[in-house]
Amino acid sequence: MKEIVLKKGHNIRISGVPSTDSQSLITSKKVGVSPNSFRNVKPKLMVSEGDIVSIGSPLFYDKTKPKVKWASPASGVISKISYGARRVIEKIEIKVNGKDKIINDLKNIENLQDASRNDIINFLLDANLFHLIRERPFNRVADPDKKPRDIFISGLNTGPIAVDLSKIINENKAALQTGLTAISKLTTGKTYFTSSQNHNFKNVENQIIFGQHPAGNVGIQIHHTKPIKPNDIVWTIDAQHLLTIGRLFETGSYDPSMTVTIGGSGARAPFIAKVNACVHVEDLIINQNLNKQKIRLVSGDVLTGQTISQNDFLGFYDSTLSILNDTVKRPFLGMLSIGNSSTKYSLTRVFLRLTDKLFNFTTAQNGELRPMVPISAWEKVLPMDIFPNELYRAILAEDIEEMEKLGIWECDDEDFALCSFSCPSKIDVGRVIRDGLNLIEAEA
Amino acid sequence: MQWLRDILDKVAPLFEKNGKLEILHPLYEATDTILFSTDEKTESGPHIRDNIDIKRVMILVVVSLVPCYIFGALNIGYQESLTFGLSSDWKTNLISGLLKIGPILAVTFATGAFWEVLFAVIRKHSISEGFLVTCALIPLTLPATIPLWQVAVGTSFGIVIGKEIFGGVGMNIFNPALTTRAFLYFTYPAQISGDKVWAIAPDGYSGATALSIPAGQLDANAVTLLNNASINTVFDFSWFNMFMGWVPGSIGETNKIIIIFSALFLIFTGITSWRIMIGSVIGLVFTALLTNLLSPYSSNAMLTIPPHYHLVMGSFLFGTVFMATEPVTSSHTELGKWYYGFFIGMLTVIIRSINPAYPEGIMLAILLMNAFAPLIDYFVVKSNIKKRMTRYAQ
Repeated sequence: MKEIVLKKGHNIRISGVPSTDSQSLITSKKVGVSPNSFRNVKPKLMVSEGDIVSIGSPLFYDKTKPKVKWASPASGVISKISYGARRVIEKIEIKVNGKDKIINDLKNIENLQDASRNDIINFLLDANLFHLIRERPFNRVADPDKKPRDIFISGLNTGPIAVDLSKIINENKAALQTGLTAISKLTTGKTYFTSSQNHNFKNVENQIIFGQHPAGNVGIQIHHTKPIKPNDIVWTIDAQHLLTIGRLFETGSYDPSMTVTIGGSGARAPFIAKVNACVHVEDLIINQNLNKQKIRLVSGDVLTGQTISQNDFLGFYDSTLSILNDTVKRPFLGMLSIGNSSTKYSLTRVFLRLTDKLFNFTTAQNGELRPMVPISAWEKVLPMDIFPNELYRAILAEDIEEMEKLGIWECDDEDFALCSFSCPSKIDVGRVIRDGLNLIEAEA
Repeated sequence: MQWLRDILDKVAPLFEKNGKLEILHPLYEATDTILFSTDEKTESGPHIRDNIDIKRVMILVVVSLVPCYIFGALNIGYQESLTFGLSSDWKTNLISGLLKIGPILAVTFATGAFWEVLFAVIRKHSISEGFLVTCALIPLTLPATIPLWQVAVGTSFGIVIGKEIFGGVGMNIFNPALTTRAFLYFTYPAQISGDKVWAIAPDGYSGATALSIPAGQLDANAVTLLNNASINTVFDFSWFNMFMGWVPGSIGETNKIIIIFSALFLIFTGITSWRIMIGSVIGLVFTALLTNLLSPYSSNAMLTIPPHYHLVMGSFLFGTVFMATEPVTSSHTELGKWYYGFFIGMLTVIIRSINPAYPEGIMLAILLMNAFAPLIDYFVVKSNIKKRMTRYAQ
């Protein structure tokens, strides 16, 4: 068993962390899927408004990989399909009524240990749940026709207000083991399960990682286990989705429930809830008394999430709804202020901050965009053997060869989110890394 | 302060697009955001951000320079009274020093701000706070007696040629404040003449700095020469007195205690690199020990300066703490910073010892290493690439 120790990184101490004691159950009246939120997927609808769907029945497929279909996370009626610019399918809304599930035929998988790779892949494709698996580089929905070098699963969340996975893992060990046994068949390489403690799962390599955020990011774990080379393909699965897969193999049906956290500096009453995947945001914020406040809703954590409105739905891969205070003040001579623990938060010590109390973050950028002044702010929070400054410049110069040499294949924008957070010039490093990946992807 | 906010909001439309004063928008924006922190919100990427920004970084460096100014003023007055053989108290010293520094500072800032605003307006970018640090550094590197027109010409050269023609803050190759210093040094040697480098020359008196005493001397021990100078002149060149800064020199360089405290402050805040500072001290000590070993084989008195004298003579510490650590022009890689610092310390001693025409080596050492910093980074990055390529080949 391998231990990974990270020295760099930072756990953001944001206020609005839900207490882990209680967990509420939210039944949603409406769920929705956004096909254009899946990177590089060209969706083709398989349903139209008014159709009746069950949990697990296909909603759309990917034109570039027609085998990969998207399961409906609820049973009910397709109430609305909305389109954006250039007829991009923005949302498929389902009005929930009933709990009909599609039960898949389990005959081929009676003995999971003896099942072949094709059995497992076909079963996931038949269940319309293959999109639970994503591939690196590029962090997009996996291609069932390609063989991954290895498979990585992070059993640790380190992002702000993230779901505590250790509780979920300890309560669902059997189902997770089933999931791991199944997916470990998908690679001729190894399947790695990395967490903050040893869970002793069978058929996989158990790894322990110590360190602050982004230690929980699967990209960082891959980098410290076996970095991605050009032409390598590595598959990743979220721990909660691994549980979904485990239950799928145990019962033959899709269980779309998942644990989410609702919190952040703008949340009045942060909480943990068990919800349906792709839950309607309005159902999550009903008790937050947000009417009078100016707030920003973020699907995902505050470092990497997307701004959404209360009429939207939680992103498919997101398990956090972050609520941020959206009122930004303009203090007089703020740049000369000594600062204190409640007014300033910095990874440097340019402001006086004597206590570690949780900070009430707003959506303030806290400065204007400036040319890069490299005070090592990026390097201090990037636990990778990568030179972010040089990589950033290679991407701006669109020098693909140099980008490859500097390790762009090993990178994903989410791993650079803390660099953007701490940058004094307010440069969005993560977005530039994504631009670089897009360039490489277009080239390849 | 709401009244001020109201005034700014009221005049804002004048500077916006199609306003009467649209051309001066960068100036309005700078005033507005210096007085009141910006209310810009995050759009892409992380929705929350660290409170540090370039304004804060720059203003903290300026704050760390204030003690140097105060001591500089005290010292100018003190040296002046020594030269004229007058007795004086700290208040008169301070006032007479401030009267000398004030005009230099005012001219520097006026010239610097003029060019910064001009380029911002012409190029339609926002005014960068970097010029505050540049302009705060320039006077500290100059002798108090420098003619003001030279300050204006030097600052213009430093800001325009040292920074703006490269594209402004963040793009420059050489430290703009040192570019100013080097320009003045080579263009007007009469005022900052070769053997009086970094020297204060109180009115009508040709003062010598600690470094110019052993410079060019043959077959002598540098420490003995300094001790003799302490006896024969009104100045005291003992190690402790040089450490305390009561010696002739440029405005900001003399007091080492203040510089060390400023360095600790900057390192504590996390905005400057301790690697460069430590690296350059190691480089200086190492090379000084080497010259000491070689001194029996040479008649050059500069080779006999012990390392602890090198540290307190001239502006080595000032340059190391405030100039070498400038993030844009120094090495960007953490490993590269060690080499960059080490070579600055090394070159300082070499230039001091080998070339008696330039008894102060730190200015040229830093400018030289500014030019070589990208090369150091190139090798550091290349070793990382090599490691990766070996892995890819497996």
